[in-house]
Amino acid sequence: MATNLFNWIRQNLFGQISCQRCLELLELMTDGEASPEEEAQFQKHIDDCLPCYETYNLEQSIKEMIRTKLEKKKVPDDLINSIKQKIRNTA
Amino acid sequence: MSVEKVKQNYSSREKDRIFEQEFLPHIGSMYNFAYRLTFDEDDAKDLVQETYLKAFRFLNSFQQGTNAKAWLFRILKNSFINDFRKKSKQPAKVDYQEVETFYNSEDVDVSMTTDLRVETVQHMIGDEVSNALNALAVDFRTVIILCDLEGFTYEEMSKILDIPIGTVRSRLHRARNLLKEKLQAYAKSMGYNK
Repeated sequence: MATNLFNWIRQNLFGQISCQRCLELLELMTDGEASPEEEAQFQKHIDDCLPCYETYNLEQSIKEMIRTKLEKKKVPDDLINSIKQKIRNTA
Repeated sequence: MSVEKVKQNYSSREKDRIFEQEFLPHIGSMYNFAYRLTFDEDDAKDLVQETYLKAFRFLNSFQQGTNAKAWLFRILKNSFINDFRKKSKQPAKVDYQEVETFYNSEDVDVSMTTDLRVETVQHMIGDEVSNALNALAVDFRTVIILCDLEGFTYEEMSKILDIPIGTVRSRLHRARNLLKEKLQAYAKSMGYNK
């Protein structure tokens, strides 16, 4: 109840977005697709909201994990030559 | 979605230059994408080769100054769907029920019920990440690869996959939730997150 009242005050008197709205913006933020206005709203919200801040951190760390930890396979040595050869043959 | 098709008329010298300087540098990303679609080195090699041959054959449809990597990924994705999946000796691992359940649920659930922790994610090793990603149906795996691994924008993904941006977003959202479930299950089985 107290939390609801607190949120109501934040949203209605201080122009804060709701947690629901914050979570909707979460992926746009993570993917760098939010507009400057959305970004500002989002930042303002997570500055004061620990659960949303933590969720954002998790989202970012998963994205980072995908980018950095997946094994990159080496391109087979003969692939480029074989492609070029085929192109020459069809030219 | 209408894709404007303005045919160019490149000289053979220009074609060679575009192919060498704009197409070939992406072969690493292309090969890795192909491998993550097919799970087979020979299949991945064939798919990449087929893609580059097509790219060369249709080079006049490529506009210089536009994103060559996105153009190549689109050809590769189409080759995979149209030609490759059919003749591939290994059928793509698709859990249709999983796809259906998620495609049919209209409500986008923004609540986060996972108790996955940042520290758990940070301690995961490459194989664990790979296994979780590979366990996803191909359509979900694809959006995560395009977005998180290759850094394509929603708009580029929409062109590569021939789907509206709204669908890119909802598919990505569902893919990420599924991935979190897999990671969470894995963390649990390893005794993390107690």
